[in-house]
Amino acid sequence: MSQVTVIGAPDLSGRRQAFALREDRVGHYPEFREFFTRIFDLERVGLSKPGYLRAPSGMEYAVVFTGRSGEAFPAGVELFALPDALEPLDEDTLDRDLWAILGWMIDGVGAPWSREDLETTGKVYRIPAMR
Amino acid sequence: MSAETLLSLPPEMAEAWPYQPRYTQVNGWRMHYIDEGPREGKPILLLHGNPTWGFLWRKTIPVLVATGHRVIVPDQIGFGLSEKPTSEHDHTLDGHASNLVALVRHLDLQDLTVVCHDWGGPTGLSMALHEASRVRALVIMSTWAWPRPPAEFHTRIFPWRTMHAPLVGPYLLGKHNALAGRGTYLSVVGRDHFRDEAQSVYEGVLPDPATRMLTWVWPRWIPLDDNARAIKRFEWLEQELAKTKWPAMIIWGREDEVFDAATFATRWKQILPHAEGPHMVTGRHFLQEDSGSEIGELVREFVSKLEQRRD
Repeated sequence: MSQVTVIGAPDLSGRRQAFALREDRVGHYPEFREFFTRIFDLERVGLSKPGYLRAPSGMEYAVVFTGRSGEAFPAGVELFALPDALEPLDEDTLDRDLWAILGWMIDGVGAPWSREDLETTGKVYRIPAMR
Repeated sequence: MSAETLLSLPPEMAEAWPYQPRYTQVNGWRMHYIDEGPREGKPILLLHGNPTWGFLWRKTIPVLVATGHRVIVPDQIGFGLSEKPTSEHDHTLDGHASNLVALVRHLDLQDLTVVCHDWGGPTGLSMALHEASRVRALVIMSTWAWPRPPAEFHTRIFPWRTMHAPLVGPYLLGKHNALAGRGTYLSVVGRDHFRDEAQSVYEGVLPDPATRMLTWVWPRWIPLDDNARAIKRFEWLEQELAKTKWPAMIIWGREDEVFDAATFATRWKQILPHAEGPHMVTGRHFLQEDSGSEIGELVREFVSKLEQRRD
């Protein structure tokens, strides 16, 4: 069961958007763009607001989509952690959250992509979150 | 402060790479290169691919310089000591090939031997065809120049397509530098030696996630179907290379299991039937790490024969 959940817009007062990960070409494999479009209702929502996730650590994340002239929307996606405004990020926690979000994404995209392949790839490349 | 001072390597890296850094602007980007040996020597251009830089050729360069050749080794934009654009849209196959065109024009290189490895192939061979009057010969190793796919490996979800999938690429290869570190380590034969001598240098010139962008962008430029962005360029490469008569030599790693010799060197012999080789040396994909000096000797002998033919 995925430990990542889609949530409604959280109260952002007293918090900041802290950059976590950026993808310029979310449609490189179109099924990834289709996944985000479906999950965050992007055909209706467009650029009007970000999506939000809660990761296993409890940290909430903004999922910000970007457009690019001449390309299908969304062209890119950026993940921002939402910590208290002046609170530094814990790098290890952030890394594990990102790994969990990638697993959630791959589950959602579905076959032929698989979490097993993702995790095996993480082991081959000795990603700390897989140790 | 000059660019040379700002961009000097840390002492532990400089010891293994004692060459004077030189810089030029190509298509608006700052390109680092070295230019060793006598100006009057016949020039040899050594081209690296992903995720390496000129350092890959460190055992090859002295062999060629010692025998009087002029050796030019650029760091392709996005790698080594060259500028590293941080948007995926800054990187295109034609753009990188054009960067090499700009370099050879800047140096006004003539009678050039172009030595290609990995993405140094599609970029360097595009440059060679575009600047054909400057080219004397080609040396090909662990690369390809035909439409698709380069290897069955590149069609697989695990590990290849997963590694550079949306968001996964920026995480694995960006945040964790997986290709310059572990990925290169797995693609050499002498792994202990590589870990002790070179791995930290490859990792060290890509110090931050944003500087590693091309390590996951280049894999996305490998054509996997007829709609791929680079398919026309690769079709052109194969067609035009087959018309060339330049002397050519093929060198391959005996242990290369991704760009395996049985498939790739054979295909190169079909495209360039007059080519020497393939000369098999110890090596996986990054064969220069295991056989850099031997490759230098092979290139030296090859170029020497060309000169004798002329006499």
